[in-house]
Amino acid sequence: MMDPQVVDFSTYKPRTPEVYGRKCSECGTIHYPAPMICGNCSNRRDPSGVQHSAWEKVPMGGKCKLLTWTRVFALPEGFNDRCLLFGIAEFENGLRASGRLSVEEPKIGMDLIAEIGLVREKIGKDVYGFLFKKAGKQEQ
Amino acid sequence: MRKVAIVGIGHLPFGNLSKFDLVDIMSFASSDALDDAGIRKDRKIIDQVFVANVGAAILNNQTGVASSLVSRIDLEPAMAETVENGPASGASAIKCGYMAIASGLADVVMVTGGEVMRSVSGWKATDFVAMLLHPEAEYDYGLTLPAFAGMFTRLYMERYGLTEEELALVAVKDHENASRNPYAHVPYPCTLEGIYASPDAGIVNNLLADPLRLYGMCPVSDGAASLILCALDSPKMKHFKKKPPIRISGIGSATDTHCIHYRKDPLELKAVALSAERAYKMAGLGPQDISFAELHDAFVILELAISEEVGFFKKGKAREAVKKGITRIDGKLPINTSGGLKAKGHPLGATGVSQVFELAKQLRGEAETGRQVKDPKHGMAVNFGGFGNNVVTTICSKE
Repeated sequence: MMDPQVVDFSTYKPRTPEVYGRKCSECGTIHYPAPMICGNCSNRRDPSGVQHSAWEKVPMGGKCKLLTWTRVFALPEGFNDRCLLFGIAEFENGLRASGRLSVEEPKIGMDLIAEIGLVREKIGKDVYGFLFKKAGKQEQ
Repeated sequence: MRKVAIVGIGHLPFGNLSKFDLVDIMSFASSDALDDAGIRKDRKIIDQVFVANVGAAILNNQTGVASSLVSRIDLEPAMAETVENGPASGASAIKCGYMAIASGLADVVMVTGGEVMRSVSGWKATDFVAMLLHPEAEYDYGLTLPAFAGMFTRLYMERYGLTEEELALVAVKDHENASRNPYAHVPYPCTLEGIYASPDAGIVNNLLADPLRLYGMCPVSDGAASLILCALDSPKMKHFKKKPPIRISGIGSATDTHCIHYRKDPLELKAVALSAERAYKMAGLGPQDISFAELHDAFVILELAISEEVGFFKKGKAREAVKKGITRIDGKLPINTSGGLKAKGHPLGATGVSQVFELAKQLRGEAETGRQVKDPKHGMAVNFGGFGNNVVTTICSKE
């Protein structure tokens, strides 16, 4: 029987990976990725939250449209795939992001759903980011 | 403000120089510039050295390259610093040289750019260049500069109707120029048939970042180039009687968002337009005054887009100029007379210096047979850092 003093990590739920935008604490503008000074109102962000606000985290994902895309065959160190698809997409709130594209026949302007998934495996660190997938009928 | 002139130029043939030491190849180009200026024996008149380099620490396990160069060519006690601004490091170093002279801090400045990238695998070199992207929002995905160029090209094609054939024509023109340039990494002509129209074209010219193909991209190059600058009002000008001085009549730079997706219109290269505007203003010139240009065509699409942003052609119309031959050596506005980054090569730190080397060479009337622009008065170079997030434009004029 397990010693009650020992924490059983196997009972922990795996953390859901998320990608965040940041909402300016003054004017409410959402940025991705977050700058240290808001381009709209010049408010400062302080990641430590000690001297200034750390700004609210805003989870990103969901419906978006494909602005442009490419299929790359010469990938950098750390990627063993023959090729990967990438795209830039615009979310419904106007924010944009670059990410991995998982669509067989991409077309500029097509509806997508941005999910958060594994995009890179570094030694000791998995990196999560946007995976743009084709939107289902109910999401179009 | 003091007027600044180019009084010496040096260049090493670009290519695979990975057997050589980085500082050795920079020393070679710098020595060429000293000889061209006629001051090898009087080299101690150089007050300041700026070295343009991006990857010495990562690719060559070397730091402090400016100090090393000064020592290797016996220029102590000249002031020396290294300038790093990604692929625009070369032009930024020239700008630093210009500022040092214009401010009165120095009279004579050497600007040398150099890079040895082929010391590592293509896989590693691609990763190294991609490091200038946003670390979390771009780099971590495996995005690279060619990836953004591919996405830019696709959007440009969608908006302006650019075809693959028209893109291939830019490469054909650049390779033709490079075939007459002894400093080019890929000094071979190519034909439209070979890279676009023939049944084998898809194999010869394979896709790398759809819709961009092999012949739509620059090679990974090693190389070095060097310039010597002097204040036209300096008594030290008496040392430079060997060659006619070429004036730097305008220089300007500008920045844009680090993340490409932050830009309202991803096809708008604001930093290019603004850097050119600043250079035109300083020179008292406009696009109509430029006789020829070296534009940062790391990807052939950029030759078209940059030529539109600096005001040579209306948006979406540069492709027509290429088809009409306007940008050929014998055209009304020759572009990338050296072969451009596409065919001359793109050793990051050396590129911007090499572009201005070409301006000086053309303005002196010293370009090789078949590559000399007829009676040029003003040349422009656009050195493009990142994917357009830090751009330097230089205009040179006959004194």
